Amino acid sequence: MQAANMKTETERPHLTKKDLFQANWRWLWSSQICWNYERMMSTGYLFTMLPTIKKLYPDKDDRIAMMTMHNQFFNTNAYIGGFIVGMDMAIEEKKGRAAEETVAGLKAGLMGSFAGVGDTIFGVILPTIFGSIGAYMGLKGNPIGAIIWLLVNFAVLFLRFSLLPLGYTQGERLIYAAGDKLNRITDAAILLGVTVVGALIPNVVTANVPLVFKSGKVVLKAQTILNQIMPSLVPVALVALCYWLLGKKQMNSTRLIVTVLIAGIILGAFGIIGN
Amino acid sequence: MAIAWWQIILLTALAFWMIIDQITVGILCNYPLLIGLVAGIVMGDIKTGLVVGATLQLMVLGVGTYGGASMPDFMTGAIIGTAYAVISGKGIDFAIGLAVPVGLLMVQLDVLARFTNTFFLHRVDQRIKDNDINGVARNVVYGVFPWGISRALPVFLMLLVGNNVIQQVVKALPTWLSTGLSAAGGILPVVGIAILLRFLPTKRFISYLIIGFFAAAYLKVPMLGVALLGLAMAIIFYKQSGNNNQSDDEDNQSNTGGHENASGEYED
Repeated sequence: MQAANMKTETERPHLTKKDLFQANWRWLWSSQICWNYERMMSTGYLFTMLPTIKKLYPDKDDRIAMMTMHNQFFNTNAYIGGFIVGMDMAIEEKKGRAAEETVAGLKAGLMGSFAGVGDTIFGVILPTIFGSIGAYMGLKGNPIGAIIWLLVNFAVLFLRFSLLPLGYTQGERLIYAAGDKLNRITDAAILLGVTVVGALIPNVVTANVPLVFKSGKVVLKAQTILNQIMPSLVPVALVALCYWLLGKKQMNSTRLIVTVLIAGIILGAFGIIGN
Repeated sequence: MAIAWWQIILLTALAFWMIIDQITVGILCNYPLLIGLVAGIVMGDIKTGLVVGATLQLMVLGVGTYGGASMPDFMTGAIIGTAYAVISGKGIDFAIGLAVPVGLLMVQLDVLARFTNTFFLHRVDQRIKDNDINGVARNVVYGVFPWGISRALPVFLMLLVGNNVIQQVVKALPTWLSTGLSAAGGILPVVGIAILLRFLPTKRFISYLIIGFFAAAYLKVPMLGVALLGLAMAIIFYKQSGNNNQSDDEDNQSNTGGHENASGEYED
């Protein structure tokens, strides 16, 4: 027994490219597959690490300890979370179970900021840009925008696949070097998103005012007057109103949808707003 | 037209896949536009699927499922809306009027699925104690079923009972309601836009919002053109924010006389 232990000290098993690929593949499919309110993505992280755990820890107690550690609360952005897994694998390969606390700290420390960057870029900005273009074309029955978006999603899939190996080979170096660059990229992406949203307002909101005022021979069409003040005045006003409403404590997105739906039906039925 | 049995099966499978897709590969993801496109292909009416999906897409532009928050499930809404629009022949506005309440009700099932998976989590805990690696793996994978069934079953049931019920509803629908629904469909995108603007640091980037609006409303630049304009401004922004840091260093080194800084201002 003593000899066997000595051997594992000097000849710790190495992780190969195949191991990295396997973890990558598992992270892609499992990160959120058993998502739950209690520990969110913990099971996905554990599932990803299982082959690594099997390889690095032949000892039963080590295995149970590391599996328990990896099944603790974890939640990040699934698109870029693979980078954390890669860093983790590099550390565990070098230090084994001695790194138990380091790895737990690393996971807890990085998951929040990774979620922030990943959710902003992949969860908000990309869907805003390509969703806006796709919906704008889709409303006219043109599928090209939707197809472009599908292609982009495939491209993103390849990008995601490169992050785990990157985290494995140069995780620590990049984390310390890239903080500022990452913030600038996120800001630039937000700028692009906001510009597209600005263009979205006059393009996709249809709210004309079909009211007509008559006094004697003079006929005043409400929409003509509104257009002279500013094109798309009503859509802009509605967006501003909703933006303001969302700042109210009682209001959330679901309630706002219901409110606008009911208000739209009433205003439409009375002929105040139409297409 | 009546819905065929194979269409029911394909749309049910789509409902199962789309939620798994969303939490794994993210191709169709949680995007009603893309779900609407696929549902439109299945129903043999791509245009209807696209328009239904696009309208719903605009309502959830900036809404994501971050940190486990549930959002209105307009993907299921897009499937049901597209299917019923084609079956009833009542058009897009009717479909939207149906898809929105369906999407709102489905939130409850999303919560249920996320809750049910806690059961498997505790089974995983147990298998860890037994050092049963295969058992751990199995129980994680079981999480697929609460997710998938929470979407597939309601879609299947709604399509199954759909044909007759929907025809009755359509006949009973008063004109004022269909005019109202049509107007509501036109203004609903403001919700998605407003939510998005709340999420983003809009106040910091307000000038770009105005530029985008100006280009589209006054200059009539198409969306792709505005995106290119935005891309150009984003690149400039990225480069300048980098230069500022560097020029600070240069300031320290060359402290002799006035010079032009990165933003083109003359200073001494």
